[in-house]
Amino acid sequence: MIPVIGGLVLNLALGLAIVAICLHILYLRTGDGRLFLSGQRAALGVSLLSFFATFILVQLLINSNFDVDYIAHYTSQETPLIYKFTALWAGQSGSLLFWLFILSIYSVIAILQNQRSHLKLMPWVMTVLVTVQLFFLVLVNFITNPFAPTEADFVVVNGLGLNPLLQNATMAIHPPMLYLGYVGFTVPFAFSIAAMAQKEMNALWMRTVRQWLLFVWLMLSIGIMLGGWWAYQELGWGGYWAWDPVENASFMPWLTGTALLHSIMIQEKKNMLKVWNMVLIIITFTLCIFGTFLTRSGIMSSVHSFAASSLGPVFLGFVFFIMVASFGILSQRMNLLRSEKRIESFSSRESGFLFNNVVFIVMCFAVLWGTLFPVISEAVRGTKITVGAPFFNQINIPIGLVLLCLTGVGPLLVWRKTSTQSFIRNFTAPILAGLATALVLYIINIRGYVLISFSLAVFVITTIFLEFFRGVRSRITVHRENPLTAFWRLLRKNRSRYGGYIVHVGIVFMFVGFTGHAFDSEKEFGLKTGESEHLSGYTFTLYNIREEERPNHYAWISDVQVSDQFGKNIVLLQPEKRIYFHRSPDPERRQPHSELDIYATMKQDIYSIFNSIDLENNVAYLKIMINPLVNWVWFGGFIFVLGTIVAMWPPRKGKL
Amino acid sequence: MVTKNKFFIAISGVAVIVALWIWWASVNPDSEQSLVTFLSVQQLLVEEHTDRVRLGGLVAEESIELDDTNYLSCNFELQEGTAVLPIHFVGVRPDLFKDGVEIVVEGKYTNGIFEADILQTKCASRYEGDLRDADSYNLDELDT
Repeated sequence: MIPVIGGLVLNLALGLAIVAICLHILYLRTGDGRLFLSGQRAALGVSLLSFFATFILVQLLINSNFDVDYIAHYTSQETPLIYKFTALWAGQSGSLLFWLFILSIYSVIAILQNQRSHLKLMPWVMTVLVTVQLFFLVLVNFITNPFAPTEADFVVVNGLGLNPLLQNATMAIHPPMLYLGYVGFTVPFAFSIAAMAQKEMNALWMRTVRQWLLFVWLMLSIGIMLGGWWAYQELGWGGYWAWDPVENASFMPWLTGTALLHSIMIQEKKNMLKVWNMVLIIITFTLCIFGTFLTRSGIMSSVHSFAASSLGPVFLGFVFFIMVASFGILSQRMNLLRSEKRIESFSSRESGFLFNNVVFIVMCFAVLWGTLFPVISEAVRGTKITVGAPFFNQINIPIGLVLLCLTGVGPLLVWRKTSTQSFIRNFTAPILAGLATALVLYIINIRGYVLISFSLAVFVITTIFLEFFRGVRSRITVHRENPLTAFWRLLRKNRSRYGGYIVHVGIVFMFVGFTGHAFDSEKEFGLKTGESEHLSGYTFTLYNIREEERPNHYAWISDVQVSDQFGKNIVLLQPEKRIYFHRSPDPERRQPHSELDIYATMKQDIYSIFNSIDLENNVAYLKIMINPLVNWVWFGGFIFVLGTIVAMWPPRKGKL
Repeated sequence: MVTKNKFFIAISGVAVIVALWIWWASVNPDSEQSLVTFLSVQQLLVEEHTDRVRLGGLVAEESIELDDTNYLSCNFELQEGTAVLPIHFVGVRPDLFKDGVEIVVEGKYTNGIFEADILQTKCASRYEGDLRDADSYNLDELDT
């Protein structure tokens, strides 16, 4: 009974979405306020019904109602409660409903928050939001319905269960964060379309869009970083980024979104680049939908992809529709958006921002090119080509280094034109610091990209340090504050600027971590109890292989003692080999899984994987990797998030 | 004052340089693992490719032979349609590697044997097993 109600709620939401769109269009034609109010309520109604449908699915998941196909396929009796809940986004139809759910949360907030301040824009904002909701409602109603009944002519007593790889705390947070990011771009997109349709782009609109963007961008960033963290902790190939199509799909809107965050500041301060910003918003949103398409359509094979499905053409159609409609409106409004002002000098901050934008877009294009290369090559030349991570690295490392350099240069440039004196004053120390680093690295025989990357990192850090130092020093002399108060007030007075600097520090740390990849080493071997192997000056001795039966799996645990070249014991690593569903009579169902163990320091990670076990000869097959500087990536990530929060923190009331 | 034209030229210049760079890298990849051709087993045998390629297919039933002296070395046969290819692989075998499983290998074909250094099993995000009725369960399976 309850699944039927779920299906009905989705039907109703679909109908109401159509009604809402019609009401808004009618209101825009007639100007009758009653239509606007009804339209607004209908729009809220669509969201409420979407919430309701989601709650019904969650309720069914938690109560293990295996009459529903989705629930029988993604959970089982023995799935822990928390993962019954997270199964909501484990599969195709559930995750589409989850998309809709998050979009509905955003819609309700956007509608209630702005109904007074943006009266003129709201009918269009709601029309766009409901149109996107309508698209997802069509998907969950007609193409892949999460409430569809199980196709079996017997009573299903147990479901198939959730993939053990997805039974992990990070995996419970990573998808929602990514969705909060992806889906959230709908709101600034809706405001931009509305602004163009109503020819109204004032400072208030600007601020609304910017705040949404920052929040949404933060969520996307956290989502991407958690994904890398999960892959590193769980998948056992020793890396956090593989340039997999689906990773790229999340990275592309991040790149354009980051470009937008920078160029929108020029619009705020200088009222320039308005057309460009519109283009960026449209592209970013389109890439979000396109990314969802890449994940769902099955045209790319990837660890992330869902089973092949018929969603592809529908998604592609919607992407096409968004592009045509948005760029159509944009072309109609070009005159309105043209700026009177020109960029005055190559050495201006405007110009720095503009080049930063170009590099971000170019990088996005490079990633897109690599992602679609297999498809293009098959269509054009008829040969299937797979594009490996080395290809992406080769193309993107130099582009990334240019970006890193701009991270240091951009903020030191002055609006309009940087004079030679200020150039010398601002850049002498950082350039010297960078060169000194390069010299030291050269002497200890480090060359190539590694040398450039570390030198640039020092250069950028010095520029940021100097910025803070000057700000604090001037507060100390002018306001006679102690250094700590001065630092704190400096942050508070200009959150977006100094928050931005903190984000940049995080980025530099992450680059240092990425560069560590150049020094990775690894070794695969089999060991019997008591035997040892060596790698990078460390000795790995297998003490013991233990067995343990736990509620939902069976585990072999190898105790590997790691000692350094002087024989001093460093850590006991305990990677595990697990078999999930070990009690199942069907051997096909028993799923092996390697639970790895990592010893992490700021210098390096010692990463151990228990790949397989030979029970007859009692041999443990292990893979050990030494991954330098990986912790810098995560640490940089924390700083990055912290900086964004500083930049986003709303100013105190009355101090706008 | 920089004219609009100069700016346009500068930005186009950057775009052209990067486009050339991407094109150059696509033609001259710096690693043989950058761009790898995906072939069918049949194609490989007929066209005699000696460069690095990627193949897909099933592990032929009862073809896996483990090496007694080297834990990591194994031989097996890859089957795709009617074509069968002997494969030698050294490295840690993935969790799901066994008879009849769909796999992807990457490596070079030399002297009638395919030397693979990458071996991946295809894994689905969901279990593609069938649902079962109550009679097919063991009692203790449902206790947990």
